Amino acid sequence: MSTPYYVPEQSVPLPPPDADVISTACDYCVVACGYKVYRWPVAGGKVGGPAADQNAFGEDFPVAPLGAWVAPNQHNIVLHNGAPHHIVIIPDKETDFVNYSGNSSIRGGALAKKLYNPQTPTRDRLKSPMVRMFGVLMPVTWDFALEIAAEVGNHVLEKHGTNAYGVKTFSYGYMENTYAITKYALRHLRTANFTFHDTPSDVSSTPGFRDAGFDNFGPSYDDWAEADTLMMCGTDPYESKTILFTDYIMPAIQGGQKTIFMLPRRTGGTAFAEKNGGLVLDIQPGTDLPVVLAIARVIVENGWQDDAWIENWVNNKWESSSGFGQGTRNTPWQWRTTWGKFQTDGFEDWKEWLLAQDYAEPEKAAEIAQIDVQKIYTAAEWMAKPREDGTRPKTSIMIEKGFYWSNNTGNTQAISALGITVGAGGRPGQVIGRAGGHQRGGLRGGGYPRNKSPEKLPGRRRRAMDTDRYLMSGHTRLAHVIGTTWVQAMCGSQSLQAKFDELTTRNPHQVQSFEKQDIIDTLKKRTDSGGMVVWDQDIYLVDPIGARYADIVFPASGWGEETFTRANGERRLRLYPKFYDAPGEARPDWWIIANLAKKMGFEGFDWQTSNDVLEEGARHSRGSRKDFNMVHVAAKREGKTLHEKFAEFGTNGIQGPVMMLADGSLEGTKRLHDVNRVLPDTGPQGANVFNKKLTHFNSQTGKCNIQKAPWDLFSSYWEWMKPREDEIWISSGRINERWQSGYDDRRRPYIVQRWPENWIELHPTVAEARGIENGDYVQVYSDRIPVQTNTIVGVESSDFDFASLLRNGHIELTKASITAVAIVTPAVKENLGYMDFLHTSQPANALSGRVVDWISGNYNYKMGVGKVRKMGESPYKHQFRSMSFARRDIA
Amino acid sequence: MNDLDPKILAAINGENGEAAKAGTRKCLMNRRQFLLTSGIATTVVMVGVPGMPEAQTPAVVSTYERKFITKLSTLMVDDPFDFEYPDEGEYAESILVKLGQEAGGGLGPDKDVVAFNYTCTHQGGPLQGTYQAADKALGPCPLHLTTFDLTRHGIFISGQAYQSLPQVLLELEGDDIYAVGMFGLIYGRFDNLQG
Repeated sequence: MSTPYYVPEQSVPLPPPDADVISTACDYCVVACGYKVYRWPVAGGKVGGPAADQNAFGEDFPVAPLGAWVAPNQHNIVLHNGAPHHIVIIPDKETDFVNYSGNSSIRGGALAKKLYNPQTPTRDRLKSPMVRMFGVLMPVTWDFALEIAAEVGNHVLEKHGTNAYGVKTFSYGYMENTYAITKYALRHLRTANFTFHDTPSDVSSTPGFRDAGFDNFGPSYDDWAEADTLMMCGTDPYESKTILFTDYIMPAIQGGQKTIFMLPRRTGGTAFAEKNGGLVLDIQPGTDLPVVLAIARVIVENGWQDDAWIENWVNNKWESSSGFGQGTRNTPWQWRTTWGKFQTDGFEDWKEWLLAQDYAEPEKAAEIAQIDVQKIYTAAEWMAKPREDGTRPKTSIMIEKGFYWSNNTGNTQAISALGITVGAGGRPGQVIGRAGGHQRGGLRGGGYPRNKSPEKLPGRRRRAMDTDRYLMSGHTRLAHVIGTTWVQAMCGSQSLQAKFDELTTRNPHQVQSFEKQDIIDTLKKRTDSGGMVVWDQDIYLVDPIGARYADIVFPASGWGEETFTRANGERRLRLYPKFYDAPGEARPDWWIIANLAKKMGFEGFDWQTSNDVLEEGARHSRGSRKDFNMVHVAAKREGKTLHEKFAEFGTNGIQGPVMMLADGSLEGTKRLHDVNRVLPDTGPQGANVFNKKLTHFNSQTGKCNIQKAPWDLFSSYWEWMKPREDEIWISSGRINERWQSGYDDRRRPYIVQRWPENWIELHPTVAEARGIENGDYVQVYSDRIPVQTNTIVGVESSDFDFASLLRNGHIELTKASITAVAIVTPAVKENLGYMDFLHTSQPANALSGRVVDWISGNYNYKMGVGKVRKMGESPYKHQFRSMSFARRDIA
Repeated sequence: MNDLDPKILAAINGENGEAAKAGTRKCLMNRRQFLLTSGIATTVVMVGVPGMPEAQTPAVVSTYERKFITKLSTLMVDDPFDFEYPDEGEYAESILVKLGQEAGGGLGPDKDVVAFNYTCTHQGGPLQGTYQAADKALGPCPLHLTTFDLTRHGIFISGQAYQSLPQVLLELEGDDIYAVGMFGLIYGRFDNLQG
């Protein structure tokens, strides 16, 4: 793959008045703005004109600001029904929700360029199934590839057991696909060797929210705008959820909203907030917990807590212990750890605990986090201090990965307690939730078989398998990878890659034949010899998982190439229709899984269309935050398909959970935990489900659990990881203009010009001490990347604590090194280097410890550490056509 | 939240249209008429792509007017000079600035004089008055905060722009600076010369 130079264009074809118009939503971030696709044939040479009656927008050109302008990056030419068609994709100017002003980010703004067009860098889309023979991936027919996959798959299941068949898949790639994949992996394979793209184990991403009773995506977007004080932890929404910032938070700030960011790097959004009086708690990585608790401490010491809320909505001693109807010990926090670590007897008990923790004292917390202690007092005041008339500020709390991927369990417990203290949860402008990363396209077709997982915590329950550690131990004989890079997306990626090499390409059993049976026999022998075979489903060939390790590659189709359904970060469900032809033989993931499953002899995969899959899956959404079963009921009642019914909602969509009213109409759910919502007193009628989370919290009683958040459960890891001598923290995150691994952006000349390769933001003091200037190539390296080895059965309560793992020989120290282009800026914390989170050739995760949060099973990706040294000058240092070294936080 | 935020309107037009009254920039909203300027000379402009070998340089045949802008000797570092190009129609307002450091497409003995269109290539926000001398940048755009690097062909620094800020191609004849073409599509237009 190579990307041509970016050459700006000076005109663009306008869609004629009779162009087809298709409503859809963006493929990228969690906000999922509404878009319109304009499509018209190339044949005939027809294009629209500048007068309102000459184009499909009905607008005179030039258009007004925020108007229906078409940038050259919003035009493409694709095949539709086999014939070339112009495509123009611009944000929907008529939508009522989400991007209600017709706005879009730079990512969605260039959606047209992701479409397959062999005249563009998308020309290397996977177009046919491939099987590796003589070391080369060769195009074959679907039957040839699927028959090999089915026979080898069945062999692995029969000879090596179901856990030898690993499935690593995206969680978000539309409900039709995720339903088919999870039905296959969890209901039919029944493997515990299963997880999603962003975690080594299929566990809750926010354990503290889970325990407190908060849904990750309870709030509506209006709630973030209606807050008087908004605390945002571990994210600048401007950088990754653009429209949530520009169309909700930014106007709120202009209207007086007080914003508190907690993150170690300044960007466009923080700069705007600070210019307008906002606050940035510029902590060093991993120190969120003491700062959050210190804010809470200032609040309770001043008596600023929301007493009425606490009285009504926080579990007391008896309620805390009342269990989930399955016995008092059967609660999530008891699964994760032993009695008493988190649980309290209610608010007063929690307060007593809080006041006894020295790290929760503002001065001590500020010292740990390296921030100005005054900011802790200011934040507490903004969040909770009642006004002179006695009214309280409406306070909301938003968290995202910078926060919950550093001290995963501790941070999410601490912030939940702070949220409860200030009355955030379930009321307009008073909410707590995640901002979100990708869209919400998961639909479970089977339950995770936790009892088959070998992970066992001390004295308690089993935890979902750490699939990376299981693979490192050589137990995974077949790795079925769907839409993820796996290697670079996980921590300590370079030693993980070395193991992949050993199990696949360096195994003696390599296919040296073109006969199907020989291929099958060779791959079986590899699995029997302790090696591993790899099936890879993706839209592009990914290095190394596809390009180097895959024995079989299945070409997938994606956005716009099949009709799909998905929800956004406020649970808004929309249809994403097919509007052009997928390249070559590429097929949607549900089709690939269905045909593989049928060849393996499984029943229940006879779907003909993606609508068939969703109609089957609808009932499995019941009780979930995007429950759309009643949309299916309505569709059947009206003689429509489920997809047709969803299409009626257009870009406005409908927010889950969806209920049917007495008159047969459908009603969405603006926010979860909506304590003011009154449900019909007749109870749920027909197939309606009234889940507790509609009007209460996700806990054993429907009230919140206020929990302790001990720093010492995490501090041994933090103390060991923190920079020594000339090391600095190495952290990473999204950069606004690149989505995920950059699979589309690497093929956009405009974006490649801006970001030709990975980069590292370094503070001027760090740079000067090492002789590093803007544009220099630097090496970022470490010889102490901790990697957890062995699957052990915990007996003593501290067996999984990092200090114990280290002492007992379960931590191996590995080396890693990547290169990057230096950007010297005071926008980063002094002892921090900050990179893009997933450049496939220079993966920042190589520097992050492959040690799971021992209570939850998630990685703490954001806490890498390493040294930086200058290698020389990059080509971008002295020429002007690529990159920019200007600071991103200009206000 | 259907209606356009009044603050957005104010950002575009100034409070009560004060920007237009003060003459700092035109009233952009609600203004639909577009006047094609008369007397456009037909010229053929060879557009050099920085960093590309000569053989790969695309020839852009266009009809941009060769327009006198100002005299090089009158420019002060970091003191923007406003002009209109390629016509006097909507979104033609542009900035000419001597950056004081070498820049892509920079004119003059110091290769530091550059010119760009003033309209944000995201949603059409006005960038007039946002020149950042310390960073050699335009922005943040009052609408959605995009910033542009004037040393590097108007590439975005941070933000949402759908393309680089259109660069006005310049020529120097003695002390006279002429605009001779554009690189990139101006916001709001479907064609730089047809509106």
